[in-house]
Amino acid sequence: MMKKLLYGILALSLLLAVTAVVFGQDEGAAESEFTEEQIAASPYLQSMLARLDETYDTSEFAKEGPYRIAFAAQGTSNAWSALMDAHAYWYVEELGEDVISELLYGDARGKADIQVPQVEDLLAQEPDALIIVPMGAAALSAPVERAMMQGVPVVLCASAVETDNFVTEVGTNLFAAGASLAQWLVDAVDSEEGPAKILMMTGVPGVTTSVVMEEGAMTVFGANADAVEILDNQPGNWSPAEGKRLMETWLVQHGDEIDGIWSGGAQMTQGIISAYLDAGLDIPPIGGGEWQNGFLRLAIENDVSYAAWQYPNAMITLCIDTAIQILQGEPTARFIDFVGRIPNSEPFTDAEGESYFRPEWSDDVHGPITMPDEKLAELGFLVTD
Amino acid sequence: MTVAKRYEAVSAGWRLRKLIVDFGVYMALGILLLASWLLTPKLYEVDTIAVVMRQAAQLGIVAIGQTMILLVAGLDLSVGGVIVLTSVIVAEVSNGRDEMLLPAILIALGFGALVGLGNGLLVTKRRVPPFVATLGMLVLVQGATQAYTRGVPGGFVPQALDAVNHSWGFLSIPLVLWLGLNAVFIFVLRGTAYGRRVYAVGSNIEAARLSGLSVDAVRISIYVLGSCLVVISGVVLTGYVGYVDRFIATGLELDSIAAAVVGGTAFVGGRGGLLGTIAGVLIIQILGTVAVLMGLDIEVQFIIKGLVILAAVTLYSVASVES
Repeated sequence: MMKKLLYGILALSLLLAVTAVVFGQDEGAAESEFTEEQIAASPYLQSMLARLDETYDTSEFAKEGPYRIAFAAQGTSNAWSALMDAHAYWYVEELGEDVISELLYGDARGKADIQVPQVEDLLAQEPDALIIVPMGAAALSAPVERAMMQGVPVVLCASAVETDNFVTEVGTNLFAAGASLAQWLVDAVDSEEGPAKILMMTGVPGVTTSVVMEEGAMTVFGANADAVEILDNQPGNWSPAEGKRLMETWLVQHGDEIDGIWSGGAQMTQGIISAYLDAGLDIPPIGGGEWQNGFLRLAIENDVSYAAWQYPNAMITLCIDTAIQILQGEPTARFIDFVGRIPNSEPFTDAEGESYFRPEWSDDVHGPITMPDEKLAELGFLVTD
Repeated sequence: MTVAKRYEAVSAGWRLRKLIVDFGVYMALGILLLASWLLTPKLYEVDTIAVVMRQAAQLGIVAIGQTMILLVAGLDLSVGGVIVLTSVIVAEVSNGRDEMLLPAILIALGFGALVGLGNGLLVTKRRVPPFVATLGMLVLVQGATQAYTRGVPGGFVPQALDAVNHSWGFLSIPLVLWLGLNAVFIFVLRGTAYGRRVYAVGSNIEAARLSGLSVDAVRISIYVLGSCLVVISGVVLTGYVGYVDRFIATGLELDSIAAAVVGGTAFVGGRGGLLGTIAGVLIIQILGTVAVLMGLDIEVQFIIKGLVILAAVTLYSVASVES
């Protein structure tokens, strides 16, 4: 009897030890990417890392299909969101009516004030789940909470809200994205004869994506203060025109003493390259491209050295899969990184740039595209002559 | 105090206020240039002047139309929509072919004139306040552009438009265009009967009507002219950026109003002019450039810009009321 008890205790201890090692390694892996200072400095990182280890018990939402899914989209505002919508409709068609019977669509035209009442309208149609691309972290918090209170599970797609009351978020670690572009720049610039002089062009001030990417970059630059010196940090508002105006002013101010540029978006990087071309100066390394065909064309034509991150509109397919998973009552991770789940969505550099460029795509196509070419042609995204 | 001394004191005060109303913006520009010389001498290098002038011209062309619309007590908030529409038309119609650039511009001018006509008719015939009419038109134009493009503007910008990016010393095509258009419209406003009608309508619409002026025709024509100038600015901006972008005109409508108001054009109409607006445009542009040259944070830049606009409006209103 005593022997059995002893074996039992030993087996239990062994199980606990193995469990502790496995989970301990997972936690370590998640947190080891960031220093304590970085985590302490970023509320975004704290929230994301906390959710990285969480799983949502979705049994309360389980029901039989086919499902009616509401999609509160960014809508008709730019090519990125037009392609996201096209991916959504194509994927729902692919899944078939026995899986999703109806996709209820809300077009926010890129504005939070339009999206807030629109979510109410979508909820009034009693969907089984809500997928939302929030147009404002603060403004969309209350509508998201109301959906959850109404028993409609919410999947945040491509952006976050301020409340924690949703099922899951599909996106990527923006802090790490900003930091990796910064680290690439630190490695790319020459700092043998003193710190390399760099410039930072951020997106729209106050917008979560821009702020978090900048936070990530600043921690890297701060840790490498002996290698890089930031000459200036200004917003280019994700606009090629404003990016170019700013770069023109920087060029007359700093000229060829600029050793590198960190940019929070490919549109601004296009403006940066254009300003350099007009000025006839050599383009320094730029940490801040994306898989946008126009940017890639410009970068390849002018032999620009760059690092790119990705924010694929095709992630909507993953958001739809996640909504179905929730409605089937499967436990769901509270943060789902698209990298590794959406094909070719990894960061890349100019060394691989040509393999991403598609001459048959128009300049405003953001890859990767997972739907067939015919769909792109229907939308006018293929170059015909 | 004797009557003569009191008269002298009142007269001196009146002259000072008149000086502020008539020349305040030029004095402000002078002070800004002096301060910039002390703070950022870089501003006076040829390359910097070229950049400032090229960027000022983008705003300046829009501000010409905005000033004339303000002169007839109007306002145009549809600027951003018309610029994006222009950009879309240029890219879609030409699809990168230089020989199609002129037809594309003419078509864009046609659409611009239609928008201006719509604004003018709403304001004059339906008596819709200019703020509401032009805001509604902005939403309509944006909606129509998005419906046509489905949010995805296609086509390519012709290579010929790249010319707007070249400078010869501090001269560039946008600058020459801006100065040329200013010369034309300063002459129109000051040297023609049409210009006098514009001021008459803006100063006192009822008096102008009773004098037999075709008030509505003047106001409608000014809205049409204003929109056509916005189209020209849209063409310049499209060449500057090199492709169609939805955010190409962000902030231009408010900056153009600010430039005109800082330049001394009154919101109530009938007072001000294009010379003041040129100075207003330069003040706004130089402030922005100096702020970047000095590495000021964006928050500080906004605060300075806001303070300058508030100071100008306050100064003009106090000075003009008292004088």
